[in-house]
Amino acid sequence: MSTRSFDGKSLIGPAILAFFIISLPLLISNPYYLNVLNIIGLNTIVVVGLTLLIGYAGQVSLGHAAFYGIGAYTSAILSVTYGISPWIAIILAALVTATIALIIGIPTLKLHGHYLVMATLGFNLITNIIIVQCDSVTGGPSGFPGIPPLSIGRWAIDSDIRMYFLIWSVTLVAIIFGLNLARSRVGRGLRALHSGEAAANCMGVPTRIYKIKIFVLSAVFASVAGSLYAHYLSFVSPKTFDIFFSVELVTMVIIGGLGSIWGGLFGSTFITSLPNLLSSFDEYKDVFYGFILVVILISTPEGLILEICRKIDVFRKKRRQGNNDSRDKQELDTVGPSSISGLSLAASRQILREPLLRIKNMSKRFGGIAAVSEITFEVEKGSVTSLIGPNGAGKTTTINLIYGVYRPNKGTIIFGHNRIDGLSSYQIAARGMARTFQNLQIFDNITVLENVMVGAHSKPGSEFLVSMLHIPPYQKEEEMIREKSMEALEFFGLDEAADSPAGQLSFGEQKRLEMARAIVSKPELILLDEPVAGLNRAESMEIAHLIMKIRSKGTTVLLVEHDINVVMRISDKVVVLNYGTMIAEGSPKQVQTNEAVLSAYLGGSF
Amino acid sequence: MTDHLAQFIVAGLTTGSIYALIALGFCVIHNTTGIVNFTQGDFVSLGGLVIYSLLMSLKTPLIFAFPLSVFAVTVVGAMVERVAIRPARSRSVVILVFITIGVSVFMRGVFKILWGKNQMGLPSFSGETPISFVGATLIPQNLWIFGITFMSVMSLHFFFNRTRMGKAMRAAACNPKAASLMGINVNLMVLLSFALSGALGAIAGIIIAPITTLSYDIGVMLGLKGFAAAVLGGYGNSFGAVVGGLLLGVLESVGAGVVSSTYKDVIAFGILLLVLFVRPGGILGHSETERL
Repeated sequence: MSTRSFDGKSLIGPAILAFFIISLPLLISNPYYLNVLNIIGLNTIVVVGLTLLIGYAGQVSLGHAAFYGIGAYTSAILSVTYGISPWIAIILAALVTATIALIIGIPTLKLHGHYLVMATLGFNLITNIIIVQCDSVTGGPSGFPGIPPLSIGRWAIDSDIRMYFLIWSVTLVAIIFGLNLARSRVGRGLRALHSGEAAANCMGVPTRIYKIKIFVLSAVFASVAGSLYAHYLSFVSPKTFDIFFSVELVTMVIIGGLGSIWGGLFGSTFITSLPNLLSSFDEYKDVFYGFILVVILISTPEGLILEICRKIDVFRKKRRQGNNDSRDKQELDTVGPSSISGLSLAASRQILREPLLRIKNMSKRFGGIAAVSEITFEVEKGSVTSLIGPNGAGKTTTINLIYGVYRPNKGTIIFGHNRIDGLSSYQIAARGMARTFQNLQIFDNITVLENVMVGAHSKPGSEFLVSMLHIPPYQKEEEMIREKSMEALEFFGLDEAADSPAGQLSFGEQKRLEMARAIVSKPELILLDEPVAGLNRAESMEIAHLIMKIRSKGTTVLLVEHDINVVMRISDKVVVLNYGTMIAEGSPKQVQTNEAVLSAYLGGSF
Repeated sequence: MTDHLAQFIVAGLTTGSIYALIALGFCVIHNTTGIVNFTQGDFVSLGGLVIYSLLMSLKTPLIFAFPLSVFAVTVVGAMVERVAIRPARSRSVVILVFITIGVSVFMRGVFKILWGKNQMGLPSFSGETPISFVGATLIPQNLWIFGITFMSVMSLHFFFNRTRMGKAMRAAACNPKAASLMGINVNLMVLLSFALSGALGAIAGIIIAPITTLSYDIGVMLGLKGFAAAVLGGYGNSFGAVVGGLLLGVLESVGAGVVSSTYKDVIAFGILLLVLFVRPGGILGHSETERL
């Protein structure tokens, strides 16, 4: 599933929508159409939350009808049975829904994959049955009547038109919140975890917390919409909140194009009004509805809106290209990968005899196999330390253990002055470590620049509330991240490609992109897992040169590499692994003449 | 309670057999495409509806009506793949899943037009004379259900493990690219998996129709329960699907007997949630980890 954001960067969109909201009632006075518009508005509120959950975070929920229903029923019960003011009832209902979402989200969202779909599906069915069965509280299958309208002082919001303005104001706010969040650091983190959860975690995105937060937030959006629904229609019935409505809500998100808030508005308008448009077909309604759905999904994989936006975008790009051709060429001459000639790789070595990373007796078993056993070594501050060994020696496992992807069965890992074994990857990233991956882990659903910006996630920044409300520190912080990320891209000669989708880069470029993403947070220690594997000699030397440059800027490097040429040239210290145990440690020269190393690499003794 | 336990277990195993067949249908398609096929429940409905028309309207003898109905739904299953899944421009799992949801809505719309909204009754395969068996009373249809489910599971097992085509399907499921390089027509295998799921769904619908009231949307709830059974057994694991189906049937039936039959569905989906919370890989599965 790929997501691309076409949500613009300005307030023009919301302003146009506000204009439409104000002017539409001048054209439409028929209460039937107003009613349809109101339902569209309510659905849109749910869909905005769902778009963030499904399109951005990649977590599909089939339980949002239940959250909508819980919002509606809680509001109804509180305001009728307990006589609480409807406004307070809405807030309390949102709190109840948030709690329930939390209870479902915590166990299911710790897993990868589509467990949330299954859990929410079951949850929706159960909620529906419970509403039907508990008729003393909910009114059972015949519904819950007599819900009071909202009112401001003595002025009751009890007509279609009054409710229209209330519902659409809330919808507008929901859309603005959604857009703010989508464009923020948080939105970027969500899309990164959608593309690769473990990788995002290593970049400092607290993936599980993010998934839970966005799930709860989307449930709250649904709850508020449900409460408004109850106070609007003054009557709720369990049929409104069944599993089919959940399916319909997700369909709205998909039709609108996964990952586009505006698409969500379109999707909810389209799907909500479709049955009304088809009402004259009566008996054939379902057949048409199903047919249209299938045709749209087959022909426009990313939703109608994105399809249209794509066409416009292609057209715009073509026009822009005409104007920019000359300028682009000039830039090419000055920027680009730095040349390696004339620079000694063994430049200015200042190693402080102070260990930055200390690993003691670290062991890890997978089932019965000891992948790594009793490894002890140190990485000195300011050094390039290399980890080498034949295939299957446990090098990548060691990296993953250090980085908290796996937990060691035994031993300690000390980074700086603190133990880090047992911490999650994102916590380790926050302490000043960064890494690249042996199998490239590029977030291919966002741009090159955004990939690097995700790398800055390990630094503290605006979280959900600040991002959503667009509170001042936020803007400045984004500018800073963007600037630093551009610098990192320039450093690796990728600034030209900043705005292209990351998936379009060549293999070599993607490798450099990973390194740019790793250095943007200015880490104290960077773990490079086979940065030159698969590259030709010239490219390898260029990377070697860049590694030296990274080191000269004060970052310590722990390198896993097969290319002995590169390792011997740039390392201060080499640690050799074989079958999960350490067989040698020392300067490149010492290791090269070590007998155990020679026999491990060449087999037999010399 | 204990007096009735045997009876609850028999009832549970009966519906459990149906869940198992439906869960198997989910597995077969999941294994070749990675998607959840929401038309599975409609295959069940269609099986029951077609045999109803053959038996009641056309007076076809059961011995012909049974295979004919299975064949008809098998063809429909293959058509779903050919018409809606293969032409899709996206390979995204979510999009494909929602295409099957759209197809499901469409199919139910068609069933409603062709067979109406009324409930229909179908006679048992061989009379209603009860048989007593270790404290429980069985009707012959129970035995038909057990027997046919057992035969279906066995033939499916034989097909996947002993036949060339079955092995080719498993290969295509494991690694489509490698399978196609080995000369296996992966598209055909996906088509076959939909056909096979159609057949499994049809069998489930046909054998359960006599002991329930048939309607155009009978498969909706059964499909969801079958899905829960598949999750319970470890999604994608065929052996788990059978165990999950039977277990869900029994737990639901006994639970309904102990608590209240109005909460039968709550029990079924409560079990689903519990499994997902405690042992998400299913009782026979193991949860996966993402590789870096």
